[in-house]
Amino acid sequence: MADTAAGPGGSGTRSGSKQSTNPADNYHLARRRTLQVVVSSLLTEAGFESAEKASVETLTEMLQSYISEIGRSAKSYCEHTARTQPTLSDIVVTLVEMGFNVDTLPAYAKRSQRMVITAPPVTNQPVTPKALTAGQNRPHPPHIPSHFPEFPDPHTYIKTPTYREPVSDYQVLREKAASQRRDVERALTRFMAKTGETQSLFKDDVSTFPLIAARPFTIPYLTALLPSELEIQQMEETDSSEQDEQTDTENIALHISTGDPGTEKENASVLQQNSLSGSRNGEESIIDNPYLRPVKKPKIRRKKSLS
Amino acid sequence: MSPTGIESSRMNRKKGDKGFESPRPYKLTHQVVCINNINFQRKSVVGFVELTIFPTVANLNRIKLNSKQCRIYRVRINDLEAAFIYNDPTLEVCHNESKQRNLNYFSNAYAAAVSAVDPDAGNGELCIKVPSELWKHVDELKVLKIHINFSLDQPKGGLHFVVPSVEGSMAERGAHVFSCGYQNSTRFWFPCVDSYSELCTWKLEFTVDAAMVAVSNGDLVETVYTHDMRKKTFHYMLTIPTAASNISLAIGPFEVLVDPYMHEVTHFCLPQLLPLLKHTTSYLHEVFEFYEEILTCRYPYSCFKTVFIDEAYVEVAAYASMSIFSTNLLHSAMIIDETPLTRRCLAQALAQQFFGCFISRMSWSDEWVLKGISGYIYGLWMKKTFGVNEYRHWIKEELDKIVAYELKTGGVLLHPIFGGGKEKDNPASHLHFSIKHPHTLSWEYYTMFQCKAHLVMRLIENRISMEFMLQVFNKLLSLASTASSQKFQSHMWSQMLVSTYGFLKSISNVSGKDIQPLIKQWVDQSGVVKFYGSFAFNRKRNVLELEIKQDYTSPGTQKYVGPLKVTVQELDGSFNHTLQIEENSLKHDIPCHSKSRRNKKKKIPLMNGEEVDMDLSAMDADSPLLWIRIDPDMSVLRKVEFEQADFMWQYELRYERDVVAQQESILALEKFPTPASRLALTDILEQEQCFYRVRMSACFCLAKIANSMVSTWTGPPAMKSLFTRMFCCKTCPNIVKTNNFMSFQSYFLQKTMPVAMALLRDVHNLCPKEVLSFILDLIKYNDNRKNKFSDNYYRAEMIDALANSVTPAVSVNNEVRTLDNLNPDVRLILEEITRFLNMEKLLPSYRHTITVSCLRAIRVLQKNGHVPSDCSLFKSYAEYGHFVDIRIAALEAVVDYTKVDRSYEELQWLLNMIQTDPVPYVRHKILNMLTKNPPFTKNMDSPLCNEALVDQLWKLMNSGTAHDWRLRCGAVDLYFTLFGLSRPSCLPLPELGLVLNLKEKKAVLNPTIIPEAGPANQESASNPGCHAQLAGFQNPFASSQDEEEVDMDTVHDSQAFISHHLNMLERPSTPGLCKYRPSSSRSSLMPQHSLGSDIIPTTKPQWTMELSRKGIGKEQPMEMSMHSMGAVPLSVFAKESTSSRHSEHHHHHHHEHKKKKKKHKHKHKHKHKHDSKDKDKEPFTFSSPASGRSVRSPSLSD
Repeated sequence: MADTAAGPGGSGTRSGSKQSTNPADNYHLARRRTLQVVVSSLLTEAGFESAEKASVETLTEMLQSYISEIGRSAKSYCEHTARTQPTLSDIVVTLVEMGFNVDTLPAYAKRSQRMVITAPPVTNQPVTPKALTAGQNRPHPPHIPSHFPEFPDPHTYIKTPTYREPVSDYQVLREKAASQRRDVERALTRFMAKTGETQSLFKDDVSTFPLIAARPFTIPYLTALLPSELEIQQMEETDSSEQDEQTDTENIALHISTGDPGTEKENASVLQQNSLSGSRNGEESIIDNPYLRPVKKPKIRRKKSLS
Repeated sequence: MSPTGIESSRMNRKKGDKGFESPRPYKLTHQVVCINNINFQRKSVVGFVELTIFPTVANLNRIKLNSKQCRIYRVRINDLEAAFIYNDPTLEVCHNESKQRNLNYFSNAYAAAVSAVDPDAGNGELCIKVPSELWKHVDELKVLKIHINFSLDQPKGGLHFVVPSVEGSMAERGAHVFSCGYQNSTRFWFPCVDSYSELCTWKLEFTVDAAMVAVSNGDLVETVYTHDMRKKTFHYMLTIPTAASNISLAIGPFEVLVDPYMHEVTHFCLPQLLPLLKHTTSYLHEVFEFYEEILTCRYPYSCFKTVFIDEAYVEVAAYASMSIFSTNLLHSAMIIDETPLTRRCLAQALAQQFFGCFISRMSWSDEWVLKGISGYIYGLWMKKTFGVNEYRHWIKEELDKIVAYELKTGGVLLHPIFGGGKEKDNPASHLHFSIKHPHTLSWEYYTMFQCKAHLVMRLIENRISMEFMLQVFNKLLSLASTASSQKFQSHMWSQMLVSTYGFLKSISNVSGKDIQPLIKQWVDQSGVVKFYGSFAFNRKRNVLELEIKQDYTSPGTQKYVGPLKVTVQELDGSFNHTLQIEENSLKHDIPCHSKSRRNKKKKIPLMNGEEVDMDLSAMDADSPLLWIRIDPDMSVLRKVEFEQADFMWQYELRYERDVVAQQESILALEKFPTPASRLALTDILEQEQCFYRVRMSACFCLAKIANSMVSTWTGPPAMKSLFTRMFCCKTCPNIVKTNNFMSFQSYFLQKTMPVAMALLRDVHNLCPKEVLSFILDLIKYNDNRKNKFSDNYYRAEMIDALANSVTPAVSVNNEVRTLDNLNPDVRLILEEITRFLNMEKLLPSYRHTITVSCLRAIRVLQKNGHVPSDCSLFKSYAEYGHFVDIRIAALEAVVDYTKVDRSYEELQWLLNMIQTDPVPYVRHKILNMLTKNPPFTKNMDSPLCNEALVDQLWKLMNSGTAHDWRLRCGAVDLYFTLFGLSRPSCLPLPELGLVLNLKEKKAVLNPTIIPEAGPANQESASNPGCHAQLAGFQNPFASSQDEEEVDMDTVHDSQAFISHHLNMLERPSTPGLCKYRPSSSRSSLMPQHSLGSDIIPTTKPQWTMELSRKGIGKEQPMEMSMHSMGAVPLSVFAKESTSSRHSEHHHHHHHEHKKKKKKHKHKHKHKHKHDSKDKDKEPFTFSSPASGRSVRSPSLSD
């Protein structure tokens, strides 16, 4: 009893108020009910005729905590002596440790006015539902020893090819992409407009064309000039995908027409610059630029012109 | 630097030495500027300057320097305390008591005020008295060191602080400060000789927060920590003699990038922008190489710095060895449209390093040479970088601009020569401002001035060849660089100054050609030429009879006499003819080379040697003429209106290879809406070899033609099938291809075509449904995922296209605009705009181009009555804190709203912003936009036009904008647009109808009343007693009112005061000053002054001092003068100075004068200066007792 109460002590109380369907929860609930009966009987024994629900609850809680503590402590003692099962002495030591006079216990147990509580109805042990099995597990092939784990369920590794043709029609794809993007954008902006301040072009209607209110920035040029992360990412993607774009029929035609010397040159110079700046790091010390020089320490001997 | 250059320069020196005479009685050799404290929180600066000067005359007793808005604590000369007077008449141009509200009067007063402190006339705001102990020293012409302690508190101009209000230290916040201004504006941030002609070497020291960098001119010698290690001092040395006006400063937590190609070049940008800076400046070294190569001269400074800052005053500002750019020029590699623009800015800045910074000008009238040369070599760079087409297109654009401006305003004069006479000899009397000073010029005029200057340089090149031209430049540079390495004592520094005379001399020496007529025509004279041409073909004589007329009577035009090139394309080839345009010859006979032929199939040779097949069926069977061009090389600043048949324009468009000709023919074809024109334009659109800008303008022309022929138009809307063919998928023509902007030409075309298409209208004058849905589809299917470049400009243009498609709403009896009666098409447009605008909040585009377009589109919808007109949205976007492009777009909408809805409230809101906005550029831009799109004009009746507004604007230009020349001139422009030159008609008659004309020594009726209220006034004059002012002028002295009193005692007193003051100075004024005095004697000037302060003295310190005192305790100028008196202890320095001996004199005068102050305050408000011509026109001239007395008054006696 103490052992089981030790683990999930709190969860039982929490689920008390809620209607729970979980078998484990049911179990805790039942145990809690038993404790409540115990408390009530003890109260009756002490001469109370009635008690407020809250006080009964509190006492139950205290009792439960007490039992839990006994369990926890006893477990520690038994583990301390390298055992897994607590023995009576563990319990006794625990009780002593908690300041309980063990000697009074037999007398208390034999007291005359004690009430006997019927054992709680045996609740079903919570059953862990069986994993869904689909089909027969494959037996091990001969070269695998039998003590190895079984094969997983077939559905986890068997593939079922579907032969429905994917949508490859260009027009439909574009159409889909466009409307999808538009829907996302619209939903997003509507959401933003709903959750924040808005402005409207019409006095009588603020919801049909809601404009997200203009908000000044503290440093406006940063948002205006820096490319967004999305754009940077996009650019990296296009850079890497440029080579294989050659295969795309639509792009070949375009590529031919891009024999613009200006861009070629620009690319070249960018590349050149990259390589240059790369090599620069190595020879940083060679560059003599006054702005790269270290800042000098003030000289004491030199009188400041300020004074 | 080529050795031959040096030799030739030496040889020429003797001859050219006639050059420069300093207007000052001393020569500046070295200046130290030390700013030891900069407080970003308080926006204040504390520092000192030390000027080393050599007197050039023996009895130098006063030294005039320039200084504005600086608070000067203490002046010492060779460690002796020196008395000084600080007076700035430009703070308040016309004094408060004046009820004058006419612009003529203001402009004169303003020009006078500016010249009263003009360093090029030897004047300045700060007048320092040389202590008597040093007189002997001065007489020996020994060196003087002037040490001035100053501070600046919340400067409104000259230095601009940008302090974002976020958490963190100033460096973390990205706070920075930089110098800015228009022309010579250095005096706004430290005392100096703020002239482009006073060169000296510099030592610059700036102590800044350790996390910041101070960038300034010259070489950074060292950076040293202060003792507490919390600050750093940057020490700069500039050994090349440089004018104070070319000194600059930028301090901020900049990121430093050493140019990977040229290690002596360093770039700076604000935090987080380093990647952009790397990309943007990666191109700069090519510009360097180009200029150094064509000029065969190394870059003159030992280093170069570029600083990119926020809230820039102008996009590009060039200073000695550094340039300050707007941070908004930075861009990443994904941006197409900004790239050429930014590169152009970089190239411009670099061109000005050679001409403008290294070589400076002698006087304002030589400015055109520098602007011309830098603009010209910048043009050469354009030609090399972007190609001949782009270059010619640019020249044409610039030419069109200057022609339009001159015809509108009456002329731009490059080299104004001011006779020694009076100020009234204004060579540009058609303008509402004086062109005698850069600071009185309208900004627009100045931009046009620069534009004309480089065009004229190009004309000179046409005359003497580019080779000679470059030799001349090389010579100027060699001379200058030789001079720059010399010591001051060699007196060679003035060779670093260019003058018109010296430049022309160089040209004639190098080329041996006489370009005097050209100079006379375009430089010494304003105006452009307007040609009208037409022709007839005489079949019998096989002669082309060309008639060329000129209009030289309208404003802004001039008569052209000289050679004019005409190119005739005939069947047998292209032939150039040079006609002599003379006084009376209108007709010119040009013999034709070829006979007309119809059926012979033969290729036709073009100008460039190419031979082409043409379909000649369209042409006149009798004539061999294909097309005619007048002045094809644009070697005259002209506008040509030439008449030729439509088929000739079409041939010209198709087959002439010059982009300018193509552009011109496109413009001409607008008048010929025929299927043939349509075909020619479509063919051009499809031709890939054709210059993309020509194809872009063909789009718009095609739209116009389509609209004109709407009833006969067949087939799909113009350009639609073309666009589909070029940019849409082959399989599904309604879907645009995914974006690929690798080919810039087609990118620009793709951007432009929908915008032009949206201008199409059907028979009901509505945008065809087909076009609108086409554009909406473009937006819908726009897919940039695979693109290397950003599509923000493309999307912005799609919104522009949507806006273009909007037509005025059909409104039934003025119903209120609501959602319910929204046109379904407009609903679709509005949906797109809403989505775009909202998406911008989440994924902002580069420079917020899309927001800008959306705001414009919304305004279009409002204007066309689809959406209720309301400007609260724009006002929220116009607030400080939005990106500047957004703000400008929003403000433009508010300006437009103000005009359309005649809203007084919005006008007030705008005016308030002009005064209070933290960004100078925005303030300037609002004025500019209000001037371009005024709420009313002078000939209009408007409820907005009232006395309060006049007063407000007057105050704005009179005293509210004293810290920014550009802004003040902008306010003057606006005032001119709203009210014209004379007194605004909405004002009541001035209270005093009488003025004193001192020159004529009599009182006359205030001439300002005459233009508007002449008859009324005459009537009232014949009915004495019914108007208050009449009593006034019948007997001015009978009136008890102060304002109307002509107090001759005061005249006398102030004279006494001045002479007393002169005695105090004891020494006669220096000869150097006398030279620049007007020929009239001193005493004749004085009464003008004493009779009111409307005429600002030119050279006399006594006056200026007196002026400043008159208003003590009233306005700002007085506050300044108080400080300068040392009356207010400001710091440790000041305390010392108050106790010094010199101030006792001043105190004495101060008190003496205070007694008279009251009398001075209200005298002669209505004095008006006008010449005798005006007076003759006056219906009455009154001779009043006042005039009699004034004759006797001592101040007038000779």
